[in-house]
Amino acid sequence: MTTPVLATPAADQAPVSGGPTVGQRLTSFMPVIALVALLAALTFADPDFLTQRSLTAAVRTSAPLAVLAAGATLVVLCGGIDLSIAALCSLSTVLFAMWLPDLGGLTTLVVIGAAGLIGMVQGIGHVVLRIPSFIMTLGGMSIFAAVALVISDAGPIRIVDRDATKWLTLYVGGIVPMSFVVAVIVVAAISLVLKLTPLESFVRATGYSESAARLAGTPVDLVKVAAFTISGACAGLAAVMLVSRNFSGSPTMADNLLLPAVAAIVVGGTAITGGHGSLWRSLAGALVVTLLRVGLPIVGVSSAWEQILYGAIIVAAVALTLDRSKVLIIK
Amino acid sequence: MTAQTQVNALEVNALEVRGLVKHYPGVKALDGVDLVVRQHEVLGLAGENGAGKSTLLKALVGLVRPDAGEIWVRGEKVRLRSVVEAADHGIGMVFQEQSLVPNLTAAENIVLGSEGPGVRRGIYRWDTMRKLAQAQLDKIGSHIDPLARTDTLTFAERQMVEIAKVLRIEERTSHPPVIILDEPTSVLESKEIETLFTQVRRLREFASVVFVSHRLDEVLDVCDRVSVLRGGQSVGEVPTAGAAPAELHRMMIGSTGSDDHYHGNLAERSDEPARPRLVVRGLSGATFRDVDLDVHAGEIVGIVGVHGSGREDVCRALFGAEPTLAGEVTLDGDKLDLSGTRAACAAGIGYVPAERKIEGMVGPMSVADNMTLTKQKSRCSGPLVVPQKQATLVDKWIERLSIRTPHRGTAIQRLSGGNQQKVVLARWLVAGDIRLLLLDHPTRGLDIGARSEVYSLMRELANSGVAAVLLADSLEEAIGMSDRIIVMSDGRATREVACPAGGKPTPLDLVKEMV
Repeated sequence: MTTPVLATPAADQAPVSGGPTVGQRLTSFMPVIALVALLAALTFADPDFLTQRSLTAAVRTSAPLAVLAAGATLVVLCGGIDLSIAALCSLSTVLFAMWLPDLGGLTTLVVIGAAGLIGMVQGIGHVVLRIPSFIMTLGGMSIFAAVALVISDAGPIRIVDRDATKWLTLYVGGIVPMSFVVAVIVVAAISLVLKLTPLESFVRATGYSESAARLAGTPVDLVKVAAFTISGACAGLAAVMLVSRNFSGSPTMADNLLLPAVAAIVVGGTAITGGHGSLWRSLAGALVVTLLRVGLPIVGVSSAWEQILYGAIIVAAVALTLDRSKVLIIK
Repeated sequence: MTAQTQVNALEVNALEVRGLVKHYPGVKALDGVDLVVRQHEVLGLAGENGAGKSTLLKALVGLVRPDAGEIWVRGEKVRLRSVVEAADHGIGMVFQEQSLVPNLTAAENIVLGSEGPGVRRGIYRWDTMRKLAQAQLDKIGSHIDPLARTDTLTFAERQMVEIAKVLRIEERTSHPPVIILDEPTSVLESKEIETLFTQVRRLREFASVVFVSHRLDEVLDVCDRVSVLRGGQSVGEVPTAGAAPAELHRMMIGSTGSDDHYHGNLAERSDEPARPRLVVRGLSGATFRDVDLDVHAGEIVGIVGVHGSGREDVCRALFGAEPTLAGEVTLDGDKLDLSGTRAACAAGIGYVPAERKIEGMVGPMSVADNMTLTKQKSRCSGPLVVPQKQATLVDKWIERLSIRTPHRGTAIQRLSGGNQQKVVLARWLVAGDIRLLLLDHPTRGLDIGARSEVYSLMRELANSGVAAVLLADSLEEAIGMSDRIIVMSDGRATREVACPAGGKPTPLDLVKEMV
């Protein structure tokens, strides 16, 4: 291939448009806009809200959610969904509480590893058995929740030795909660690895068009299994964060985090159909969701409304971000 | 029957388009198009990709709303806001991608959406429905069983069902309808095309037909007049009687070019090396059996066959994208692992899929990322991507293949079909380790200019020593491009026809072997 003398046709095509549309521009800033708008609204409702103390508390609350959402974002980017994250997180809190007396300081790493392994098994099941990720992780969700109940005798397990998780309760510079710093580091590390290696291309190609990715010879199956593994490991890390705050493990501790996590992903603007999005968006999404959660009582809405809000957010965010011209068939 | 004999001062035009304009972001798809369809004529619509053909058609059936301009139906100005409104005015279209539901019978498909007396009190009246469908099929003289499940029919038969279905718009209007056929021949084999043409001529008796094709010979064969679009504008209308393909081609691209660019310009090559690069022995799969195939370095081997011959599956099997049951494949003497596409890529095999938009490219990703998707090492240093390395490499190939794109970072879906295909081809070339290219309809849906560029590139690659297997879009293309042609029929390789420069077989020679 050294003699490329190709005919250059005389007629040039009409110039193809390059830039993103207004809608695309807007959605790419959506999480940040939502965050600022929420902060403004809450400050307006309660001028005392914009204090360092309440912001620190909000940020600390958001950390486990952010980690959960970030991990699951990888699966969504690959075109799948991981519904098992919350149940796996609950199971991991039980495992942590049970293993802590024997493993001591190693427990954190072992629990994250075990959760990653469980995620990997789901990924392999999805890829090898060709089961839709929705079904695979729905089954996983049910199984993990039940296993957590069985091994914990359906009750919380108190943690006596608090040293193993003490580091997560510290504050960097006395202001920023360590758990949130860890969440940011996890998001940054995964994003950086994606950005600097061919992995980002692989993940996006898989999410946008799996058949095209496969026919281009990209390691589609490996990428998917890796995504489920990281999603599982993130559920494990989120579990450690929850334990550090509650001083116990419980089989239902994280069960109410599934909807907020999915809400965080879609509010961030990651396309539920795969390909488009990022982990940073989900981090911002997690902050938005958390602010809503702590903001409801401030504006005088009962917390019973929380679940209604999550349901509405998910539907509204997808309705806003979905490129309907591409989605001809809805299932 | 020529166009002239039909023109009558008292007779109004079946359909008239005046100054139609449609903008898309950054593109003027239609820039003041005029079009006249007379009653009982077959009007050809010709134009390169991007000329505005599909936008115009969509405007005629209410799928696209024009920014300016008028549409007149039988002397009456109309606004078409949906397919239903278009049907009410007697305009119907047979789409390029078929729109039948595969697990319903032909009869159900024909009445689907306008069941009329076929449904009473919400319940299907099967007998009435079958009769309705039979009446539609009789109109076009088709012998398809209305109770056959659609997925058991061939592509050509399904097309007949579609025509029968679209003719139901006659019931909505008292006037002869206007039937639009969008690239109806693009996936038909030559024999089926003849049947279709007979059908089109029959339609003319009671309807007007707009026939869209990128094959000029077809347009000239079946149409009374041809209207040519270029760059969203009407550039002229000519009666087909006496028109030459070269003249039409000149109108389409705006300068003289040669339609049969790929014929005869084969470079002289030295004798073939003793051992073929690709050796396939006894390859069997779900749809093909005992296929033997040799391809030498620098050789283009065409595989021809009708639909159902299994040639597409053989091609995919060689790339590890289709399971095989038996057989051995060696590339330069090394046994090939056919278990997956990654092994094939690593061995230096490239595949250009027929479905470019779905399988060939990742639409929202950039030209650069699409080009380096497979050969990641070409843009990496160790495990890390080096943006500068990628930029240099991609820009080099954009220039070499004269890919027209605003920037290497532009999403590939914003390019025209020909430029997209060049990016897909470049994907296999960037690393310089390509040994065998499997080309599944590499010019499908491309305009003439883009086609000849792809032909030149294929020939150039072969001359540089790449072996290629070609599933061509037409027999003429297969004959023009190939050094040797394998005929496949019913899953078996039945004949081999030498196809050297200066000793090419005729399409008729091949058709005899195919059926």
